[in-house]
Amino acid sequence: MTSRFEKGVGPPWLALRLVSWRVPEPDREYLVGDLLEAFREQLLRHSDAKARAWFWRETLNLMVTRWPSAPAPADLRPEAPMDSLLHSIRTALRSLTRAPALTALVVLTLALGIGATTSVYSVARAALFAAPPFPDSDRLMLMWERDPQLGEGNMGYATFQDLSRETAVIESAAAMSYWFPTLNDGSETTRLAGQRVTWKFFDVLGVQPILGRGFTADEDRQGANRIIVMGHNIWATRFGSDSSIVGRNITVNGVAYLVAGVLPATFESLFAPGTELWAPLGYDASLPYACRTCRHLRVVARLKPHVSLSEASQQLNVAHQRLREQFPTEYAGPGTALTPVHEFVVRDTRAALLALLAGVGLVALIACFNAANLLLSRALRREAEFALRVALGASRGRLATLLIAEGFLIALAAAVLGSLFAIIGVDVLLRMAPDGLPRLDQVKVDGMVLAFAAGLALLTGVVASIVPGWALLRGGLQAGVRQGARSVVGAGRHNLRGGLVAAEMALAVMLISGTSLLFGSVSRLLAVNAGFSTPDRLSMQLSLSGPRFADSGAVTQAWRGALAAVQAIPGVRSAALASQIPLGGNFDMYGMHLADRPGANPAEDPSAQRYAVSPEYFGVMDIPLRAGRSITAADHVGAPRVVLLNEAAAAQLFPGGAALGRRLQVGGGDNPYATVVGVVGNTLHNGLDDQEGMQVYMNLEQWEEDGGMTLVVHTSVPVESMIPAVRTALRSTVPGIAISKVATLERLMDLSTANRRFALALFAGFALVALILAAAGLYGVLSATVVERTREIGVRTALGAQRGSILALVLRQGMVMTGLGLAVGLFATWGSTRIISTLLFGVGASDPLVLAAVVSTLGVAALLACALPAWRASRVDPVIALRGS
Amino acid sequence: MVVAHGLGEFEQLVLLSLLRLGPEAYGVAIRDEIERQTGRSVALGAVYTTLLRLEDKRLVATRLGEPTPQRGGRRKKYYRPLAAGRRELAASIDALRAMTRGLTPNFELP
Repeated sequence: MTSRFEKGVGPPWLALRLVSWRVPEPDREYLVGDLLEAFREQLLRHSDAKARAWFWRETLNLMVTRWPSAPAPADLRPEAPMDSLLHSIRTALRSLTRAPALTALVVLTLALGIGATTSVYSVARAALFAAPPFPDSDRLMLMWERDPQLGEGNMGYATFQDLSRETAVIESAAAMSYWFPTLNDGSETTRLAGQRVTWKFFDVLGVQPILGRGFTADEDRQGANRIIVMGHNIWATRFGSDSSIVGRNITVNGVAYLVAGVLPATFESLFAPGTELWAPLGYDASLPYACRTCRHLRVVARLKPHVSLSEASQQLNVAHQRLREQFPTEYAGPGTALTPVHEFVVRDTRAALLALLAGVGLVALIACFNAANLLLSRALRREAEFALRVALGASRGRLATLLIAEGFLIALAAAVLGSLFAIIGVDVLLRMAPDGLPRLDQVKVDGMVLAFAAGLALLTGVVASIVPGWALLRGGLQAGVRQGARSVVGAGRHNLRGGLVAAEMALAVMLISGTSLLFGSVSRLLAVNAGFSTPDRLSMQLSLSGPRFADSGAVTQAWRGALAAVQAIPGVRSAALASQIPLGGNFDMYGMHLADRPGANPAEDPSAQRYAVSPEYFGVMDIPLRAGRSITAADHVGAPRVVLLNEAAAAQLFPGGAALGRRLQVGGGDNPYATVVGVVGNTLHNGLDDQEGMQVYMNLEQWEEDGGMTLVVHTSVPVESMIPAVRTALRSTVPGIAISKVATLERLMDLSTANRRFALALFAGFALVALILAAAGLYGVLSATVVERTREIGVRTALGAQRGSILALVLRQGMVMTGLGLAVGLFATWGSTRIISTLLFGVGASDPLVLAAVVSTLGVAALLACALPAWRASRVDPVIALRGS
Repeated sequence: MVVAHGLGEFEQLVLLSLLRLGPEAYGVAIRDEIERQTGRSVALGAVYTTLLRLEDKRLVATRLGEPTPQRGGRRKKYYRPLAAGRRELAASIDALRAMTRGLTPNFELP
């Protein structure tokens, strides 16, 4: 008799595999044979689908059948290590699938921890650990001259030249200066970010243009330096990736520049982010602004191979010492400093990202403890099984292998799920992240990140199963056999589980207090008075360039016209021009030299942020006048020169409040002296966390500018709606004016706090997860102990214990764990808030009020977690509890 | 009087089918026999569980047969009741008979 079976209709292969896997060998052969034979009969009587369904039913049935021939005898057989491992993994898989809910919970907990940690790691890795994209980037250093406060300062050209000659340690070096070129291609005028660099710049970095060439020594001279190297982005967007651009002229600042080369897309302008055009600096030591005290150049140097940072520093300091002896009035600072380029790029965000990594690491640790606790509860229930295995001759090593195999399988599942979470998490992080984080575009989940996730999973999974394993194997398993299924839990196990919960609590305290401190700090930061108003205020950068604006008279006329045109727009309350504004990202500092108290060394005089402004500036920005008078239109180019000081400068330069009427020189050299006519309020130039520094203001008509100005507009209608009208007015009044960086002051303010708010949002998320996990852990342990102690509680009740005292018994157990955890956590917090103290603003590292709030939050959460198990315990019916045994 | 631990009902059915099938008693045949005689649907897994238990209690003996092509060349495992198995079965059925003696065919008191 033939059936469809012979024609190739087979049983479901997966079911067949399951059977083969489930049923050990002596029984497997005849059993599979029987199944196949019966399946053939099914096919004769029923449809394929029905037969297959029958096969599956039989398979599932066999899954739950106990095969006495399976594990115990296998444990007795001496086996090859590989066999033993495979066997352990099989046994582990079987044992895990027997408790699917618990396994899923453990895997989910670990996966959450792994996912969170991995996504934060992948952001941090790109920002913190990826090497700068230059060959041998570890040899690239920024070279500074130390200022008198030992900070890192820029360098004058002459100093750069002298130090570059230290060829024993320096292979090559280049100096950089900011440049704001305006590109005009006939139809459109755009202001770009640029850099002027000495000719070796691209060689120092080790960058080859993809088209054309870099600069030559001959081009790095005054008058010969109208040469451009352009970035890949502007080449693609403005010149349509036209490769014939090299060798052609383009119009920059109104004059023709020869395009020498185009940089590769991978080139990153790390020292001046956003730079699109590079031109040779074109200095020589005879120029007035190439002097030793003209400290406006940033220097990047490539060290010789095998020269260490300290060797190089030492050599350069010796050279600098010689310069100081040679030119005693030109140098104030005590030496030089070298900063590895990588360090320079990451240092602003390093503390924040490391704090985030630490925070998310704590979350992962809590998840790990939670998983360990769940597995421990399970292990305790399996005590009888383990005791039996030992009695049957399984070695402790064998049991340990089994537990590790279980951990390994859990880790594997958690790694897969966690990687999935990480991919989602990175996506969310990138959406939330502030612009200031370096290299966000390079953040991706790649092999390295997944390897991190896998490693983390392995560590947590194995740790989470070794803890219970150790507890089991350490405890006398003989005792387990005697007590069998009565599940009397010794005090030692309670201690271990309680300890794990206490540890979770302690970690949660650390995380939550960190978050609360951060929260307090950010809200205090947002409440800081920046010294000026932001609502309804708009700022944009303007620049005039080209031969039309070659003389200062034309520039002054153009600015006056532009300002008048903007002020005439309906909806504009007032408008002003300023050489720089707070939060605008400029750092324009000038030395302040007093007329009646000349310092021995002018280089040692303090410097102030300098603002050349139109008279309306103080009204537009809402900066209050504290003393004297403000700047007026009468302080024009022909009038006596006057300046305003802010309160900080007045107090520091003229202690005793005698600033008005005094004379000082802003900047060195031949700059004329000016009279202080008024004092205005302080503003925070670099953001809300800035210190109040010295500031000086003058009428922009009394100060020759380079053709770049910031326009600030105060409007009486919604500020965003005014942008087109302002643009149109400017373009029609001053043809060829370039407009860039249009932003409301509120937006600039937001940006200045974005990093902190980002960190805060993440920490808040971590803290919430920590709170939930810790409470869940406490709840889990208490629930398990209540179940295990049902008999004991029943006996107590039978002997007359009141419900209240049973309730108190369980609550006390929970509260002891909580209290211990809180105490340890507070102690650890006290030590660890230093990690995030760089992110903290205006908050002592351990604010007692904050800590008290944290403790009470966790205490309440813990109480809630205890409440249900305690209530259940108090409801235990002694009759049922005692009958159960 | 035989001192017996008592056989479960399904154990009795399996042992009885071994007696009915003689030398041809193996998994599928046993299941088919029970299904045929009692009209209930029986899972192979249940048959094996019981056979394993009977083997454990040393009530049945087994032998492996020859491979046949319908089974993908796998051998059958044949079962036959041992003397102890027959005694247990007899004791169980005796007990049933004893308990039903004196009752009407509807298991009521006459």
